[in-house]
Amino acid sequence: MKALLIFLLLALNMHPAVAQNYDRMRENMVRRQIRNRGIDHKPTLEAMLSVERHLFVPAGQQARAYDDGPVPIGYGQTISQPYIVAYMTQLADPKPGDRVLEIGAGSGYQAAVLGEIVEQVYTIEIIPELAARARGLLRELGYDNIEVLTGDGYYGLEKHAPYDAIVVTAAAEYIPPPLIAQLKDGGKMIIPVGSPFLVQTLMLIEKKGERITTTNLMPVRFVPFTRRN
Amino acid sequence: MSKRIYLSVGLLSASIIAFQLTLMQLLSIIQWSHFAYMVISVALLGFGASGTLLALARNWFVRNIEISLPVLMILAGISMSLIMLVSSTVFGSFDSYLLFVDRSQIVGLVVAYFAFFVPFFFGALALGLMYIHYIEKIGPLYFADLLGSGIGGLIMLLMFWLFYPAQLPSAIAFFPVIAGILILPIRLRLKFIAPAIAAFILPGILVFSPPALPVSEFKSLSRAMNLPGARIVIERSSPYGQIDVVRSPALRYAPGLSLTYQGTVPVRDVIFSNGNWFGPVVEWTRTDTSHFLDYTTNALPYQIIRPSNVLLLDSGTGLFAAHALTRGVGNITAVEQNRIATGLLKNELAGMIDSMYHLPAINPVNLHSRSYLLKDDNLYDLIILPTSESFGGTSGINALEEQYILTREALDEMWNRLSDDGMIAVTAWMDYPARNTLKLLATLVETHEANSDLPVENHLAAIRGWGTISFILKRSPLTLPETQAIRNFCNTMYFDPALLPDITPGERSVYNQLQDDEFFEYIDRIMARGREDFYREYDFNIKPSTDNIPYFSQFLKLGRYDKMQDMFGQSTVPFLEIGYLVVLLTFLQITAAAVILILLPLLVIGWKGSGKLYTVLHFSGIGLGFMFLEITLIQQFILYFGNPIYAAAAVLSGMLICSGAGSLASSRLSTEKGDVVKILTLVIFFIILYIILLVPLLRITINFPLLVKIFFSILFISPAAYFMGMPFPLGLRKLSGINPTLTPWAWGINGCLSVISTALATIIAVEAGYLWVMVIAAMSYGLTLVANLIKT
Repeated sequence: MKALLIFLLLALNMHPAVAQNYDRMRENMVRRQIRNRGIDHKPTLEAMLSVERHLFVPAGQQARAYDDGPVPIGYGQTISQPYIVAYMTQLADPKPGDRVLEIGAGSGYQAAVLGEIVEQVYTIEIIPELAARARGLLRELGYDNIEVLTGDGYYGLEKHAPYDAIVVTAAAEYIPPPLIAQLKDGGKMIIPVGSPFLVQTLMLIEKKGERITTTNLMPVRFVPFTRRN
Repeated sequence: MSKRIYLSVGLLSASIIAFQLTLMQLLSIIQWSHFAYMVISVALLGFGASGTLLALARNWFVRNIEISLPVLMILAGISMSLIMLVSSTVFGSFDSYLLFVDRSQIVGLVVAYFAFFVPFFFGALALGLMYIHYIEKIGPLYFADLLGSGIGGLIMLLMFWLFYPAQLPSAIAFFPVIAGILILPIRLRLKFIAPAIAAFILPGILVFSPPALPVSEFKSLSRAMNLPGARIVIERSSPYGQIDVVRSPALRYAPGLSLTYQGTVPVRDVIFSNGNWFGPVVEWTRTDTSHFLDYTTNALPYQIIRPSNVLLLDSGTGLFAAHALTRGVGNITAVEQNRIATGLLKNELAGMIDSMYHLPAINPVNLHSRSYLLKDDNLYDLIILPTSESFGGTSGINALEEQYILTREALDEMWNRLSDDGMIAVTAWMDYPARNTLKLLATLVETHEANSDLPVENHLAAIRGWGTISFILKRSPLTLPETQAIRNFCNTMYFDPALLPDITPGERSVYNQLQDDEFFEYIDRIMARGREDFYREYDFNIKPSTDNIPYFSQFLKLGRYDKMQDMFGQSTVPFLEIGYLVVLLTFLQITAAAVILILLPLLVIGWKGSGKLYTVLHFSGIGLGFMFLEITLIQQFILYFGNPIYAAAAVLSGMLICSGAGSLASSRLSTEKGDVVKILTLVIFFIILYIILLVPLLRITINFPLLVKIFFSILFISPAAYFMGMPFPLGLRKLSGINPTLTPWAWGINGCLSVISTALATIIAVEAGYLWVMVIAAMSYGLTLVANLIKT
């Protein structure tokens, strides 16, 4: 049934006029919301142009898919604002041969963007319904290099560790020790930290040998608190 | 007129106040308290709107009063009982969480306003209709109204214990239905028997099988319940709010945990209050020799002292108590005002924490932390304030929560409770732009300067992890070995010192880089002389809060709002301080609506004619003045009793009942200028007396036994409240003599101004302090006085 619905959804979106419209919206999104705000990482920009964001939002919300903001996807979760996705991707600095771990698959959109660039993405989602939805959609869209797992992201995924980058999309008041352990030497972790239900700080964690350093990047709540001086 | 009408009025008024309190709790559970405040404020405009409709259609309502009055009461009851069903519909598609990012949610907000407005509108329409029709009995009628309201508030304290929030609207709905049936003429009762039975059955069904609460999917509780294996293990309903204890193998807590921590982050139960995070219950046993808090910046004070006596303010779920026990502290006083939470820790959840609250080393105190400080005379080696969850990183949701433990006066009291080498410790989440971290530091610095002549830099230390910053203010100067111990701790944990007597710029961000180095520049300016200039220049209000303006988490400077919008963008600014913005937004909305509601009747009753200026001045003045004083007294008595719920109930009910008595006594008074002027002069006199004497008298008597304090507070409130109950009925009686068509208009003006005054009082308290709220209360009664001196 779910596969049928996804097929219908895809079929509907293949209507030339509608598809062209989304294509134009996506180009505008990348130009106005992402490139104009300073994101210049070429693979990220190409991936954001390529991934059809409107397929990752609930059917009733598709018209808002390319808006400059988050869109609710149910279970108290949102698909992040396009700029946040691009910003986190650029920071992770993904490269073609990389192995990336994502914690908090949500809609699967961030994983799809990463999957366009790197060799393998593992993404863990704690809410089974969201995980199933993301898994089905990513499979339908042909992302063979993305594996969606259902579980508690706290433990990471030791089986495929270490990772070149770990992207955490679910906020916590702590940085899970297992995730730090699973980061490759020279690897980067992007994680929103702080009280999970309110304002969080996006943070970059870098591992160089035994030394671990953190950099506060920006506060986020739906949208980043970017300051224009 | 049947005597039953007094009982009917009392029941209706009791139900309206009970319904208001219930909605406040319900909407706080379903959504958030600031949203509840906004919706209820707008809904209460039902009082103003009832006056408008009565002014426009007075004759029709009066002609049909036999039917219209009971029907309005029954409709009020039915709409109250339907509120849960309506809520399910409204909140199915609307969420206030998305209001500032999705403009389409505004439609839902308007629908919510209307849904919650209806019961108040019907109830107020019935009350207003009685007042204008039975004007000669206004004194006893208003007495019954106020007495009913006072009792309604008290009944709710009991009902919050007995019923779950979802059941309450329907339980309350019986009161107005009974009130309506009571005054239904006997000859009409048979005719109305079927609708009356239906009116009883509906709330009856909904009490026993209430619909599920449509809690926002974005609330902490909803999101916790989405975790695998999550379940509610304990549920409690009380005036303190709805308490839920959630258990899940994926619920973990370790705020700001060091990156060097190799252990497992502990799984814990979490207590939620009204669907919001209250605190974690982390497993602890007496044999524990280490605690995960040892790996956080919270462990800072323990690096330099081995305290014997520790005072924990707002101790919540006992995490700091467990940490102190692990550190070998022998005498811990844990002050927490939420009795339900403490009760759970002592009983149902005792197994998780090895009955910690029954250990001789722990002295749990159920009181407001500030009230405890005012009563206490022990000395402590360490006083720990709660972590920032309660006052930081909250998008300003708590901006308008009075935080009496973070005022300058409170810190002075803490300083005086310190032993010779004692210290005050506090941890906060790092925030950007920096606000609460800077205000905390400013408060500590000013506290030291007010109590010591020694240089503050030798008494303050701060360390910063990747997410949190912890401060200590030590009574004696920090020694070299102590600062070395702090540095060693930082190096071990990958933390960075932010303040030390001999700090060097290079050591401030070795492990944890910030967005920019402005934060260090700011803290240095606060440490230096001339910080007042910095307070003025800085874009946020970081001047320490005081008992007069106790809003620690209020940072927004209204004059800089445009600048903030330019800097952070339109969609971001609301999240810098949502609490205060909601009040400002509420004030603007209700003022605009009130102006329309007040002006609309003039289309029918005409713009000219005698008594209009008198009506506006007299009823605006008492609408504003009464509420301003009531709000201020509630604030003062919160500290006095050490419990906000019972303080509010005592003051609110005491004032209403005493005012009711005044209203009753006003029947014997004439509406001549002389009597009214004397009464208003007395009211103003008492308010001035409160301005001068209230705080000192409450401080002197704070240690008296509870019963004496209750007696004292009623004695203190009653004279002013008694006289404050007179101007409304006297004014309406006088108006009916001048121009009876103006009486419904007066009822509407009074209703509108009472609603405006709640938001306005908050804005004045934030911008100028409670003292000014009282001064303006006196000035408002002065306005009423002027109205009575003008020849009508």
